[in-house]
Amino acid sequence: MLNELFSFNNAEVEAIWLSLKVAFYCSLIALPLAILAGYFLARNEFRGKAIIESLIHLPLVMPPVTTGYLLLLAFGSNSWFGSWVFETFGIRLAFSFQAAVIASIFVSFPLIVRSVRTAMEMIDTGLEDASRLLGASRIKTFFKISVPLALPGIISGGILGFARSLGEFGATITFAGNIEGETQTLPLAIYAKMQVPGQELGTLRLVLISVVISFVAMTLSEWYIKKMKSKTAGL
Amino acid sequence: MIDVNIILQRNNFDIHIKEQFHAGITGIFGASGSGKTSLLQSIAGLANPQKGSISIQDREVFNAEKKINIPVQKRKIGYVFQEGRLFPHMSIEKNLLYGVKEKSSLTFNEVVSLLNLNDILKSRPSTISGGERQRTALGRALLSSPDILLLDEPFSAVDVQLRAQILPFLLKIHRKVNIPILVVSHDLPDLLKLTDKLCLIDQGRVVGHDDYHKLLRSAKAMRLFGKNSIMNSIGMKVKNMDPEKGLTILSTNGDENNVKVRCEKSQLTYQVGEALKIFISSDDIALSKEKLTEVTIQNQLKGKITEIIPRGATSLCLVDVGFQLVVEITAESSHRMHMEKGSEVWCLFKSVAIDVAG
Repeated sequence: MLNELFSFNNAEVEAIWLSLKVAFYCSLIALPLAILAGYFLARNEFRGKAIIESLIHLPLVMPPVTTGYLLLLAFGSNSWFGSWVFETFGIRLAFSFQAAVIASIFVSFPLIVRSVRTAMEMIDTGLEDASRLLGASRIKTFFKISVPLALPGIISGGILGFARSLGEFGATITFAGNIEGETQTLPLAIYAKMQVPGQELGTLRLVLISVVISFVAMTLSEWYIKKMKSKTAGL
Repeated sequence: MIDVNIILQRNNFDIHIKEQFHAGITGIFGASGSGKTSLLQSIAGLANPQKGSISIQDREVFNAEKKINIPVQKRKIGYVFQEGRLFPHMSIEKNLLYGVKEKSSLTFNEVVSLLNLNDILKSRPSTISGGERQRTALGRALLSSPDILLLDEPFSAVDVQLRAQILPFLLKIHRKVNIPILVVSHDLPDLLKLTDKLCLIDQGRVVGHDDYHKLLRSAKAMRLFGKNSIMNSIGMKVKNMDPEKGLTILSTNGDENNVKVRCEKSQLTYQVGEALKIFISSDDIALSKEKLTEVTIQNQLKGKITEIIPRGATSLCLVDVGFQLVVEITAESSHRMHMEKGSEVWCLFKSVAIDVAG
């Protein structure tokens, strides 16, 4: 029984690998954008800020299926943008690996922004003033002071985004489909297995893997934040 | 020179300041919320006045009409904040090196030895004392080769004992670099330990900018000094030391005929001829018409009253004892002893009432 539990077949390994790949690319693209957005929102007051914030946070509260459907409208082959990308680069956005990454980016972006923004708001802006008074430009100040001091929040945001991407289901299945080896990530594979009678063990296998990956990610993030906090403790 | 002519709107009041600040230390004194910090922030570019202009060493850094507003990082300003604002994720060494320019007027080693920072270079800001933090902030500002130094309440985050460890460093810096240094404080004695040149700010307006002793004659300035006792600050030189009696004998210029003051600071080793400043609070000095013989008071200086300034229930007597001493006595004593301009008096104060800044 135990042996069977740990004997993965190719499709299952592929689903795990694909999930990690989607989550990795999602974090890689979403994190830098979220750092900029989080910093911008933490430091600026302007008219219409509430609307921008709501737009960013929308995928957090909207049903993921809705997000997926909207993505399909915006990036699908019949959309203006989707057809332009296809004609120019020959890349089909919807129902592809890229679509899985895009769907993940949209749903995890608000989570990362939230985390980064809170961390940026915690920084004493006086330190940024001090940096500029010492002759550092805004850009140098951002990279030398703001980002390092917000690093715990940035890392935990990145991990949250990574984990959210691993768990993404609704938007992915709507916008990227459930294509084995291309867009079938762990949750989609679990869902697919549940539809087929006699696949209980396979389902359990993937569920366990999913739990383990999430657990490791969270533990790493907690450990890292603790380490960073003790490093920058005090003033 | 710093040339300021600005109007800055604040929530509850507006600040109108038109002043020039020259090389050397100027103390900016005023109550909290009077606009002292706003003035520094405007000069630094951290606050933007609605009207007016600011020049630093003949370089116009701000002009509302001409739409000139040089960004903070290009104004070449050394700014030391109340809390030091060291970067917590960097060592003291990295903090010091953060703003270093290629052509620095002071080298890293000079600053480290000037401010006595050698032992803490590898430490983190969170592990050092408040005094060390302020010294690091000062060193960091100096190493960025500023045209001017702005210090915003540099002592208030440091307890009284540690202040004595920062003041001498500031004086050293002042002697080393000849640039305008503005020090903001609401603590008059602290400022006087650094300088006699004061700029007084009250509710966004300058109400006096002069030598401290001249300001004592201004009614507006006296109102601002409020109930604080008036501090005498006197430049002296060490004449000789008598460690056995625990006394150091000082004089105003080292000549035989000058007034001698004794003070008990002989555990500190001064050198004969060394210049220092001493401080005596005006209410620590008593006046007598005659020299007293059987008394424990070490200092009795003979002088003549040059002016009496009424101050509510008390009077300030300006006494010329070879230098000017301000003595605060009650109006009642003044009346009873017939104190008037020209009266000959003895100024009496205990040697322990004297505070020394090197």
